Amino acid sequence: MFSLAVFFQSFGPLFWAARYTLLISVLGIGLGILIGTLICAARLSPYPPLRRFAAVWVSFLRGVPLLVQLLVFYYALPVIGLDVPAMVAAVVTVGICASAYISEIWRGAIAALPKGQAEAAVAIGMTPVDVWTRVILPQAVTLSLPALINELILLVKASSLVSVVGILEITRASQAQAATTFRPLEVYIAAACIYLLINLCLAALGRYLEHRTAV
Amino acid sequence: MEWSVLQQYGPSLLKGFGNTILCWALGTVFGMALGLVIALIQRYAPRWVTWIVQAYIEVIRGTPFLVQLFVLYYGGPLVGLRLDALPAGLLGLTIYGSPYFAEIFRSGFRAVPDGQIEAARAIGMSESDIVRRILLPLGLVSALPALVNFSIILTKETVILSIITVPELLYQVQRMSAETFRYVEANLVLALFFWGLVETISRVGLRLEARITKHLIERT
Amino acid sequence: MLGASSVEMRKVNKYYDNFQALKDIDLSIPPGKVTCLIGPSGSGKSTLLRCINFLEEYDSGEVRIDGQLIGYDAPNKKMSGRRLREMRRSIGMVFQQFNLWPHMTARENVAEGLVRVRRLSKADADRRAGEALAKVGLADKSASHPSRLSGGQQQRVAIARAIAMEPKLMLFDEPTSALDPELVGEVLSVMRTLAGEGMTMVVVTHEMGFAAHVADQVGFMEKGELVSVASPDRILHHPEDARIQSFLRTYHERNSF
Repeated sequence: MFSLAVFFQSFGPLFWAARYTLLISVLGIGLGILIGTLICAARLSPYPPLRRFAAVWVSFLRGVPLLVQLLVFYYALPVIGLDVPAMVAAVVTVGICASAYISEIWRGAIAALPKGQAEAAVAIGMTPVDVWTRVILPQAVTLSLPALINELILLVKASSLVSVVGILEITRASQAQAATTFRPLEVYIAAACIYLLINLCLAALGRYLEHRTAV
Repeated sequence: MEWSVLQQYGPSLLKGFGNTILCWALGTVFGMALGLVIALIQRYAPRWVTWIVQAYIEVIRGTPFLVQLFVLYYGGPLVGLRLDALPAGLLGLTIYGSPYFAEIFRSGFRAVPDGQIEAARAIGMSESDIVRRILLPLGLVSALPALVNFSIILTKETVILSIITVPELLYQVQRMSAETFRYVEANLVLALFFWGLVETISRVGLRLEARITKHLIERT
Repeated sequence: MLGASSVEMRKVNKYYDNFQALKDIDLSIPPGKVTCLIGPSGSGKSTLLRCINFLEEYDSGEVRIDGQLIGYDAPNKKMSGRRLREMRRSIGMVFQQFNLWPHMTARENVAEGLVRVRRLSKADADRRAGEALAKVGLADKSASHPSRLSGGQQQRVAIARAIAMEPKLMLFDEPTSALDPELVGEVLSVMRTLAGEGMTMVVVTHEMGFAAHVADQVGFMEKGELVSVASPDRILHHPEDARIQSFLRTYHERNSF
C-alpha cells in the first residue's frame, strides 16, 4: 500500500529542489528585513503621512493572502508591461509580504524595551542617533530573534505557494514527481518530511540563539 | 474597468464567496473542537499519549498547508480516502488549524488561577465537572482574543484551497480572469472581500469579548 | 450542629524536594472546638492545614478525620480520587484569595457544589444557597458577580459556599490576610458565629485577637515544627518558649502605635 521505494527515491530530486526553497526563503527574509526596517522607521517617525503610509502598508500586506499577492505580481504585471522572471517576482513578493510582519516584530520589540533604557542613555548625554544604534536597536534585535526565526520558518512554509508561478522548489518538484511515479502519497509525504527537517533545524537554531543571547 | 464583467460572473463569484465563508466557518469550528480535544489530552492524558499528540503538532506546524492538502486530496485515494475537493479542503483546514487552536487553549487554561481549581477540588468536585464548569468557561474567555486572531489568519488560508480545485472565491476569480483577462476587476473583488471579511470578524470578535467579560472586569 | 469532626495528625512529614516543610507534626483537633495556628511566614502553617484535606500531599505519618485516614488507604498506597472527593465533601475550606468563581453570581457560586457534588435539584440548591448567603448577611447580594463585591463580601460568600455543603469540619487559610483592615471585622464576626454553633474549625491566622478570644487551643509553628499547642492564654499571654516570645514581640511592635 505504501511504497517505501518511491518514498525514499523521491528524496533525491526533492532535496535538489530544496535549494530553491531555501533561496527564496533566505532572500525573502533578507529583503523583508531591509524593507521592514524602513517601514518600522516610518511607523515610528514624527511625520503623520509617513506613519499613515506605513500603517496602510502593514495592514494591507497582512490582510491580503500571500497567494493572491503572488498571482497579482506574476499575472498582472505583464499587463502593465513589466515582464519579470518568475524567481524575481517570487522573491520580491515574499520579501514585501514579510516586510509587513517584520516591521511589526521590530515595533513589538522596541515597545517591549523598558523605557528606562533610552532614558538612561539620554541622561548620560548620548545623541539620539547613538541612543538608537547603541542601546535600542541591539537590544531590540536580540529580543526579536525568536520571532525572526519563527518568521523564517513561516517563509519556508509559504515558499510552497510559489509553486503556482512555476518555480521548481520542493512543492512544484513533488508535483512533477507525483505525475511521473503515479504515487502522490509517498511523494508528498516525502516533501512534507523535507520541509519538516528544514523547519526542525531552524527551530533548533532558534533555541540555540535564544540560549546564546539570553540576558 | 468593465463592470459588466462582474455582472456576468456575479453568480459564480457569489458561489465562491459562499464557499469561502463555508470553508472558513466550518474549518474554524471543527479546528477549534479538535484543538480543544488536543489541549485537554495534553493536560490530562498519560505521557505516552501526549508524546504522540506532540509529534502530531510538530508535523502539522512544520509542514506547509499546501503540502498537507496534497497529501489528503491526491495521496488519500491511495489509502482508500477518496474525498471531493471541498470536503478534502475542509478536513485539511481543520487539521491545519488544530495545533494552533490547541496551543491557544493551553494558554487559556494556564491563565485560570490555580486557586479557583483548588476551591473546586476542596468541595469535592470531580475532575470532569471542574473541567466543564470552571476550566473551560474561564479558559475560553482568556483565549478569546487569540482565537479571533487565528480565525482571521484562517480566512487567508482558504485561498490555498483553490489549488486543489475547491470552488471558493479565488478559484472563481481566477476562472473569471482567465476567461476575460480582466485582472484589475478580479483583484479588486478579492481585495475588497478579504478586507471586509477581516474587518467584520475583528469587530464581531471585539463585541463578543466585551459582552462575555462584562462580569469578569473588576469595578473598583 | 450535625456532628462535628475530629482530626488526628500523627508524625506528619512533608518534603518539597530536599526541603522539609513539615517535621514530625503531632496535632489533635477536638470536635466542636476552634484551633488556631499562628507563626511566622514560611513556618508551614498553611501547608499543615492543606494536608488535612489533602490539597497538599503529606509524605509520611497519618492524618485521620473521625478515625479515617485521608489521602492514603495504607502507607504508600494513595487513596482513590473518588474516596478522596467523598471525604472532602464533609470538609469546608476558605482560602486567603477567596477563590470565588468569577463567571458565576454569588448564589451560583454557593449552589454549584450543591448541584454538582451533593446532587441536589437546582431548586433545592438555590434555596439552600439563599439560606447560606442570608446566614453570612449577604442575601441581597445573591445576584451579584464577585467583581462587584468588596473583599469582605467575597470572603463571606466563600464561607457561605463552604457551609452550604454542611461540612463537619471547616479549614480557614489566612481568611482575612488579603482584606483591607476595615473589612476584616465582618468576616471574623461570621467565623465567630460558626464557632459558637459548635463547628470544628482550624484557622491559620495573623489575627491574634481572634485567636485570643475565640480559639479553644492555639498552636505555634516555626520552620516546619509545631513548637507548642496550648490554651490561648498560655500561648499568647504567657509563652514559655523563646521563639514564641520573639514572634509575639515582633507582632506587638508592628501592630501597636
